[in-house]
Amino acid sequence: MPHLEQLAELTGHEDRVWCATWHPTKPILATCSGDKTVRIWQATNAQDPSKWQCTNVLEGGHKRTIRSVAWSPDGRQLATGSFDATTGIWERDEDESGDYECVATLEGHENETKSIAWSKSGALLATCSRDKSVWIWEVEEDNDFECLSVLQEHTQDVKMVAWHPTEELLASASYDDTIKIWKDDDDDWYCSDTLQGHESTVWAIDFAPSGDEIVSASADQTLKIWKRFPPGNPLGIVTPRRGEPVWKCVATVVGQHDRCIYSVSWSKAHGLIASAGADNTIRLFETIEAKPEAVGRLTAEQQRAMNEPGVLVETVAVAEVKEAHGTSDINSVAWYPSETHGDWLASGGDDGSVRIWRLVQ
Amino acid sequence: MAFSGALTLSDLNDFISPSQACIKPIEVSKTSETQGAIKVDNSGSYYEVSQDGSETKLETATISLNDCLACSGCITSAESVLVTLQSQEELYSILKQNKIAIETNDLSTHRTVVVSISPQTRASFAAKYQQTPLQVARKLTWFFKSLGVHSVFDTSFSRDLALLETGREFVERYRKAIAKGVLKPPNMNGTAASSSEAAAAATSGGMEVDTPKPRKRIIRRGAAATNDEPAVTVETESAMPMLASACPGWICYAEKTHGYMLPYISETKSPQQIMGSMVKNHFGSQLGLNPDQIYHVCVMPCYDKKLEASRSDFYSDLYQTRDVDCVITSTEVEKMFGEQGQTDMSVFGEVDLDLGYNSVIKDPNTGADQVLIGASGNASGGFLEYVMQYAAREIFGIDGVDVDKAVGVEVKTVRNSDFREVTLEVPGSGEVLLKFAAAYGFRNIQNLVRKVKTGKSPYHFVEVMACPSGCINGGGQLKPLGDNFVAVPLKGWIAQVDGQYRNGVLARKPEENPVLEQLYREWLGGVDTLKAREQLRTGYHAVEQNLVNPLAVKW
Repeated sequence: MPHLEQLAELTGHEDRVWCATWHPTKPILATCSGDKTVRIWQATNAQDPSKWQCTNVLEGGHKRTIRSVAWSPDGRQLATGSFDATTGIWERDEDESGDYECVATLEGHENETKSIAWSKSGALLATCSRDKSVWIWEVEEDNDFECLSVLQEHTQDVKMVAWHPTEELLASASYDDTIKIWKDDDDDWYCSDTLQGHESTVWAIDFAPSGDEIVSASADQTLKIWKRFPPGNPLGIVTPRRGEPVWKCVATVVGQHDRCIYSVSWSKAHGLIASAGADNTIRLFETIEAKPEAVGRLTAEQQRAMNEPGVLVETVAVAEVKEAHGTSDINSVAWYPSETHGDWLASGGDDGSVRIWRLVQ
Repeated sequence: MAFSGALTLSDLNDFISPSQACIKPIEVSKTSETQGAIKVDNSGSYYEVSQDGSETKLETATISLNDCLACSGCITSAESVLVTLQSQEELYSILKQNKIAIETNDLSTHRTVVVSISPQTRASFAAKYQQTPLQVARKLTWFFKSLGVHSVFDTSFSRDLALLETGREFVERYRKAIAKGVLKPPNMNGTAASSSEAAAAATSGGMEVDTPKPRKRIIRRGAAATNDEPAVTVETESAMPMLASACPGWICYAEKTHGYMLPYISETKSPQQIMGSMVKNHFGSQLGLNPDQIYHVCVMPCYDKKLEASRSDFYSDLYQTRDVDCVITSTEVEKMFGEQGQTDMSVFGEVDLDLGYNSVIKDPNTGADQVLIGASGNASGGFLEYVMQYAAREIFGIDGVDVDKAVGVEVKTVRNSDFREVTLEVPGSGEVLLKFAAAYGFRNIQNLVRKVKTGKSPYHFVEVMACPSGCINGGGQLKPLGDNFVAVPLKGWIAQVDGQYRNGVLARKPEENPVLEQLYREWLGGVDTLKAREQLRTGYHAVEQNLVNPLAVKW
């Protein structure tokens, strides 16, 4: 059976760790914390992945907790979203000190910024906040940013934003228990779909490697997998908006986590899903096509009658690490984004520590 | 009801319904000194039962709009207060009071009721009920008069004054900005200045400007390391860009969240509030009435206008009255039709428009009795168009600029349909003389705020409106017929209303309004007098940020 073994425990943050994010191409990890700093961690020895050091501490940019951190796709910049309502853009001075400097601050949210995400091309940045809005910014020359859209359709705190792995398509997860899909129509962005099904806050979302599925993690202690059905799909799922695909739930993971699930990561390297939350456990799932006898599987007739695909995917629990951060909540899990170290998983928790795990098949 | 997006974004989590969760203590007068019991009946009303058994209904403690605003708190609570304070119900009760005053022959409580209708409202009814704007004006006049309203006016009349005054204010500011070195004078003859000089000339007050000298690779834009507020003190009299002041959604948002933007905002009152000054002061004095003997209602495309009317700046302590007593929206007027059993607008009577503050003339071509006339320009009031034309003439002696027809200026849509740039150049040289913009909707306001804050705004004047598509798409405008929204796409509907805005309305420059000269002379004692300032200009106040009400916080 596959399992996770701990490679390293990184200490230094002086408060809970909220988010851990891998550099898009290098074995570098950025983490942020209630201590208002971001720490950059790098493996010291390519042969020995258990040796890590903190190379940079980004401080002074935010007045309150840094809730999330995201690398630009080219790895040149870092964005930080903070409870002080601002988003910071950081750049490393490659020529001289090697330090990260805050080169821009994006203002506009009324209160706590909860999450930030760069689009795949790096041309767009999305932010979301407790003020219930999602903002889309365009990255311009000379570290300038233009606000393209302010989307105010969520009825509660927006917890997370995530971009599609290839398309300019944004998903947002909210305390209003829904996920919304946002698209651009030349002049402005609009909500093209609202995914309803969770019975409590949706804390986290991640796209499948193909971008055709989304996994969501909720305070209702379930994970759900949502699949995109384009117009004219073979199952005959109705697409109400002309020319627009519709997203439907095709799997629900119940009875695994027994507290809120705060974070979920869908590996782009090997397709395993990692999730973690308030039950102090990291769990790994594999997705396979549902067997004909699977619970919730519908016949073609039922699918048409209910306009629902039913269960199409089975999720198989393949590994778990109990008390991965002792008795502390786990706030973030993140798979390494590419094949090079696709077996690495980073986690951050309320104990202030960051841990790096390796998937052993 | 829906305020503009800019307002609803502010302090969202402060939402508390008055008298339910608001913890602001208010004074309630005691009804009796004796001890008694309190009884609640089935309807939830409270009664005080005295020892002799008699019951007195107790008054519910209510929180007024002023309580809410003084709390620097939440627009969302203010919203429900407004419903009771500024609504057609208030108008009905004033009209009823007038009736009683006449019946009882007690004229001390009688008030002259004036209704001023916005041209955007006219356009909204015209599009929905397939009438011409003139028909709408005549029918609304008929409707209001049948209810007992005394005079019905048109705010495109007071808008002429607002435009003139905005143009004047801009020229004053521009000249001061040049004199004080905030702006560099443009090179009127000869070749275009180098691009860096042009940039320097275009940016505002002494803020950092990119120069061609070698610079560090890392460029900072409003980074957190710098102070939150620009270091340079910006003075209103020379602040560039000057930002239009007619949109109360934008004003409220700036006051609540961007205090440093306030010096840039034009001090000229909006057309609604200038109408308020005119009706309560000029019209009143002509009729021998004090301001409090007139009840003035404005019909507007927008709920935010209710907040504007409630500002303390527009309240007379002496007479304890507001310049505009009540604002009702287009939608609320439509609701009044139903309440009066007059749902079919096509069968409404038509009456001639009142002389006075109306923009109506005898048609010079057909000789028809009344045609509408008004300033040209976009359906949000045409501030950009007028100020450009006025400033080109006053400052640079360039006549004949027409933004609508792109004559003499370059008009460009930038990034999205709600952001337009209009540039006046020295013919042939490319030297920019004036660069104006229209920025509508919340996203474009954000970009403007950001540009001004980081010293990157190349503009001299910006027409700012909180709603996408501007006032024609205000939150108080009529919805297209039928419950099924999908049937009429929003963009097509806005285009229809926009088309009606100009339908049959002759264009006239504000300065050609023959009554204005008389108003300046007789009422204001001339241009630039203390009285003109008092009646036509206003000021803005940053709202101190309170700690968020801890009871209302939702995580």
